[in-house]
Amino acid sequence: MSVRLVLTYALLVVGSIIVAFPLLIALSYSLMSESEIATFPPPLLTTRPTLNNYADVLDTIPIGRYLLNSFIVSTAVVAGQLITASLAAYAFSFLVFRGRQALFFVFLSTLMIPWEATIIPNYMTIRTIGWLDTYQGLAVPFMATAFGTFLLRQAFLQIPRELWDAARIDGASSFRFLVSTVIPLSRPILGTVAIYGFLSTYNQYFWPLLITNQTLMRTTQVGIAQLRFEETLRFGLVMAGVVMVAVPTLALLVLGQRQLVRGLTAGAVKG
Amino acid sequence: MRKFLGIALALTMVASACGGSAPGGSDSAALAPSKDVTPAATITWWHAMSGVNGDALNKIVAGFNSSQSKIKVETVFQGNYDDLLAKLNTAIASNAAPALVQVYDIGQRYMYDSAQVVPMQAFIDRDKFDTKDFEPAVINYYKYQDKLQSMPFNASTPMLYYNKDAFKEVGLDPAKPPVTFTEIADAAKKLTKKDASGTTVRFGFGPSIYGWLFEQLMATSGQLYADNGNGRDNRATKVVYNNAAGKAILDWWKAGVDGGYFFNPGIDNDGAANAFNAQKTAMYIESTARLRGHITTVAGKFDIGTGLYPRPDSKPKEGGNIIGGASLYIMKSRPPAEQQAAWEFVKYAMTPAVQGQWQSDTGYYPIVKAAYDTGPSKEWSTKYPQFLTAITAIRDSPQNRMTNGAVIGVMPQARMRVNKMIESVLLGQATSQAALDAAVTEMNAAIDKYNKANP
Repeated sequence: MSVRLVLTYALLVVGSIIVAFPLLIALSYSLMSESEIATFPPPLLTTRPTLNNYADVLDTIPIGRYLLNSFIVSTAVVAGQLITASLAAYAFSFLVFRGRQALFFVFLSTLMIPWEATIIPNYMTIRTIGWLDTYQGLAVPFMATAFGTFLLRQAFLQIPRELWDAARIDGASSFRFLVSTVIPLSRPILGTVAIYGFLSTYNQYFWPLLITNQTLMRTTQVGIAQLRFEETLRFGLVMAGVVMVAVPTLALLVLGQRQLVRGLTAGAVKG
Repeated sequence: MRKFLGIALALTMVASACGGSAPGGSDSAALAPSKDVTPAATITWWHAMSGVNGDALNKIVAGFNSSQSKIKVETVFQGNYDDLLAKLNTAIASNAAPALVQVYDIGQRYMYDSAQVVPMQAFIDRDKFDTKDFEPAVINYYKYQDKLQSMPFNASTPMLYYNKDAFKEVGLDPAKPPVTFTEIADAAKKLTKKDASGTTVRFGFGPSIYGWLFEQLMATSGQLYADNGNGRDNRATKVVYNNAAGKAILDWWKAGVDGGYFFNPGIDNDGAANAFNAQKTAMYIESTARLRGHITTVAGKFDIGTGLYPRPDSKPKEGGNIIGGASLYIMKSRPPAEQQAAWEFVKYAMTPAVQGQWQSDTGYYPIVKAAYDTGPSKEWSTKYPQFLTAITAIRDSPQNRMTNGAVIGVMPQARMRVNKMIESVLLGQATSQAALDAAVTEMNAAIDKYNKANP
């Protein structure tokens, strides 16, 4: 038994080192001077750790402001997605109306349209409304999600119909039922949608680049690009930037991991 | 994402460059706003310079803004060259382009076909602006049918970097770097070092697989890359590098890699530079713009030498180097007042004092020759004597269609295709001739499609 345990842990340790390697090497490089990185074979750990790269990042770009912007936008998108997706999913799972199935498939079919194909029309819309260089311009186009709606609908369908009947008999409105019963029961899946939405917004590059022209409105990924010089790549500098940007997402992952794992496996058995 | 952008860019280039006849008629001065138009108070300039170069660029703008009180230039960083062009593309579609844009060398034909540009020649002709003192190799690169389309801004050229200490160690003369294919191969064999177990600890030569380097090797071979005078007399309809010269380049490269004295870092420019820094390779070829980064990173661990770019053993006299970098375009969609203001700024950026400062801040070389007489430029040359190689290389290059370099609408795609071609040869997936032919066939189809979409 204990041999098996040791073996299991050994395997887990090896596995987690492999998975965490890119992050660990980024952290290690961010503490190295450029000439140390350039030695061959490349060292794994620094002998003379330095925080110069971090100081240089702070000197080169307003990273604090970028983090704040990314955080505001991602949070707004998550809030928007949770509201729109849960309302839509509720309609698709509990309400009965003509053409529900057809409408749902139309909804799903938007998943097939690559986001890139809609960039120019979206850009023109945002520009016409005058939302260039604003938080709403960065966030609003992403506040509805077909994928999230689909995920929530599948989860809502698992909720026993009897609860709905009971709620109706007690005189609850649709909205009341959604808020008091459906949402509390679907917390894991809502967590999944939230984390997924947060990370994908946080990692956006082209859209923020496209619609912002002021330095103060830009987001973290655009900031990282600013650390990549056209002619010479300073690994240490870029890695320091990456570490600074990755910390909030990692924190979120650690906090939300329980929700995420439960959310992903919810319904896996029942199909 | 980056890869996607490249492809998306290539596609949108084909799709959206349609419509409108290209500029550059007989009376080009008429394309510029009339001389008495008052310049606009504010204009925007999109650029792709980050870090040190971005600071240097903003320094120029700050200098311009304080040198006079009528015009204020605002700069916006728009990601790397590819991102910037993708963004420009979107902005053109919705009429949100700025007055002045920095676009990379290989975006030239695309900018021309977009018909969104006021050719720089129009302003030059209108004001009888003197370009006699401009570096001919640089200014010729941005000409189509002998008319300047954009103003060169940051210019660089490739050269040979070598490790002088390694040269001394194996008994090569550190003052005489190899130039021809055979000389480089011989030197590389000597420089290659193995440890007791037979593992190579230092390769003689290690260029990245990079389409730009192949273009340059074609130019030093005195050969065209595309037809119609490299697309400069008329729009290119074909690429033509699948000839004996192209084959000789690939065979030389392949023999070096197979023989174990050339290092193959893959399609990885930064990897090749790092291998040189780490003394894993003793020679490699790259842009002059990397010189400063090398000197800083190597930090005296060994002596860096620079030499002329490789060429065939026959040293063809019509061969030479092409410049690279980026240039400034004035956009037609902005009101004449803004175009006027942009031109005022361009003129300021081309003054010797500004150019000398720009050189010393970045490592790009000046576009105006008089800049070399300024203080910052002289200081720079004393500090980095290796830099003079670049100037010599470009001054000694004869000016002809081969050394002017190719312009093709799908140049970014062409460069990627050449990467794939070189890689397939080095990995032994195809013979050099078969790889050349395959790349040429595929590119010709792409050029044809582009030309049909942009009549």
